[in-house]
Amino acid sequence: MGLVEIATGKVLTSFSVFLFLTVLLLVVARRISTCIVLFSAQSAIIAAEVFATGFQERLAEAYVVGALVLVIKVAVIPRAFFGLANRLKTSHDVKASTTPTQSVFIAAAMIYLSYAAVHSYGQSVHVPEDALAAAVALILTGSFLMVSRNKALMQMLGLLVLENGIFLAALTTTFGMPLIIEIGVFFDILIGLLLMGIFTFRIRDTFDHLDVSKLRRLRG
Amino acid sequence: MILLTPLLILLAGAFVVLGFRNPRASTRAALFVGGLEIASLAVVIWNVHERGSLQVGHYMRADGLSSFFLLNIAFISGLVLVYASGYLRHVGEGRFSSPRWFYALVFMFLFTMISVCLSANLGLLWIMMEGTTLASALLVGFYNTEGAVEAGWKYLIVCTVGIAFALFGTIVLYLAAVKAGMNPGAALDWVSLMNAVPRIGLDPHLVKLAFVFVIVGYGTKIGFVPMHSWLPDAHAEAPTPISALLSAVLLNCAMYSVMRYDAIVSHAAGPAFPHTLLLIFGVMSMVVAGLLILVQRNLKRMMAYSSVEHMGIIAIGLGLGGPLGLFGALLHTFNHSVAKSLLFFSAGNVRHNFGTLRMDHISGMSRTMPQTSAALVVGGLAIVGLPPFSLFTSEFAILSGAFTQAHYFVATVFLIILSVVFGGFAYHFLRLLTGESSPTPVSSKLIPSEYTSMGIAGLCLIFFGMRIPHAFSVLLREAMTVLQ
Repeated sequence: MGLVEIATGKVLTSFSVFLFLTVLLLVVARRISTCIVLFSAQSAIIAAEVFATGFQERLAEAYVVGALVLVIKVAVIPRAFFGLANRLKTSHDVKASTTPTQSVFIAAAMIYLSYAAVHSYGQSVHVPEDALAAAVALILTGSFLMVSRNKALMQMLGLLVLENGIFLAALTTTFGMPLIIEIGVFFDILIGLLLMGIFTFRIRDTFDHLDVSKLRRLRG
Repeated sequence: MILLTPLLILLAGAFVVLGFRNPRASTRAALFVGGLEIASLAVVIWNVHERGSLQVGHYMRADGLSSFFLLNIAFISGLVLVYASGYLRHVGEGRFSSPRWFYALVFMFLFTMISVCLSANLGLLWIMMEGTTLASALLVGFYNTEGAVEAGWKYLIVCTVGIAFALFGTIVLYLAAVKAGMNPGAALDWVSLMNAVPRIGLDPHLVKLAFVFVIVGYGTKIGFVPMHSWLPDAHAEAPTPISALLSAVLLNCAMYSVMRYDAIVSHAAGPAFPHTLLLIFGVMSMVVAGLLILVQRNLKRMMAYSSVEHMGIIAIGLGLGGPLGLFGALLHTFNHSVAKSLLFFSAGNVRHNFGTLRMDHISGMSRTMPQTSAALVVGGLAIVGLPPFSLFTSEFAILSGAFTQAHYFVATVFLIILSVVFGGFAYHFLRLLTGESSPTPVSSKLIPSEYTSMGIAGLCLIFFGMRIPHAFSVLLREAMTVLQ
């Protein structure tokens, strides 16, 4: 067995552990920059998994998708986030509405919940349970970050984590969707982030802050 | 090629109007592009009627159902463009908020919505549904006020998250199809899926799981309760032509996506599961929105909740299924669009003339603005479902569907909420129209763009209430055969 085969096997068996680690670190992180780096690392893990899957299943398309993940999610989006955070001249605090201790407990509960949720489906569709659980955990964490962090930037980041989870679910269950659809999805994410960036500037200019929990004029 | 023309016209049109810095010139260019687009959509509809269906490549396809919704888009977008040509006369030059940007974004918005109807592939359908959010977010935040920015941000975030769940549902359906032995390249193609439903249905769990995620995801765009939180904000804060487009076209497009999935899931796993879900969402939306209409103080927010209520009615029609339910649901998508556009146009006039939409600040409108008041009355009577207006026909069809299928609970709730909504509209409108005439309007007369668009909408409501034109009912029947 060659070195590449061994490496591929290792990536495929161990990546979910690393993803759970990023989940736990994300919920305790206090600074936006930490979260951005963690997101970048998380995407890198997923990119590695895409390449490993592509190698094992002999799918040429997977390499293209993997390269897209590397370029867009590991490099471009985090850079853009750093640029946005700098230009907005906002504080670095994520404005968490839960304490780190509470967050860890919630994250642990979500990981447990993910395993419970995929238990019955994992066997019927013949995919590794860990991988599917990691995907569901990412989706849940993304949603959790969106509702519990009040900074507009963190809501965007939560959305990206959620999207990572959906991407991972597609990858583990079906080796990804047709290439053209994946590219379209990436395109939508980029445009979506661009628009959210425009809106963060508008929020800052009209309200003088980026705390979306204080946007509550429209009710009822 | 016929299928691509409307899309190409809109893309080119978006760039062309951006080139006109003069507001009058950009308006004229926009009306011209709009005319071309409607003509090209008419050609598509005619060709679909002649040949049954049109296909371009693997990803674009139009059949009877698409062409029924294209008719809706063509009609409403025409009205909206005419109305907007007068409405935008007060809008100045700003970043992303000048008339030329307005028209360019409207064309992109129409582009995505037409693409939704022309998608043969469920993945492309998702991409385009997400595109509708992206294209319209800047339009919702067009005025750049505190409320508009908040509504735009909320719209973008809530709908993107909601749609993400629809992507998950799409992936689950794809998984079910691939597991059933379909070729991965064709496993998202709607026609191939419909042909393979017996095989997919062997393992109904995954298909049902997919439908749950899809109805939550696209249901967010439809505005089903409890995912409706973005809808009243976006409708109330957007410029009036956009409120009309959101309510009359976007919600229908999302409903169209759910119809496509409903057809697959009903055939694969039996109609009981998806139809029960649709009934639950429909009844919930009707009840909650119907009650919230009573307590609204902002005219456009009240109309937005009325849209939620009518989406509930359409969902109930779909959930009942059968010829009556389906007929009622499809007809209601069109009727509701026309009535809601008329109401939003009137609300736009109110805002222009009084500078506010607060209903408790306005009274005695029937004397100060007789024409707009007449439009409000026609629209109001139509939207609560009174004869002789067209919404009566479709609501009556859905109600008879509920009785023939012995869904007495649904029928009772339906009737109760209709009367509550009637009471709500009557109460609010009587206070608006009668009494002491307090603020004085800027001008009491309608301008040509306003009475053209509002007149056409009003006449259409009455005409369709008397009898459904033959050509229209042919299209409606073709749409129904696609789903059955």
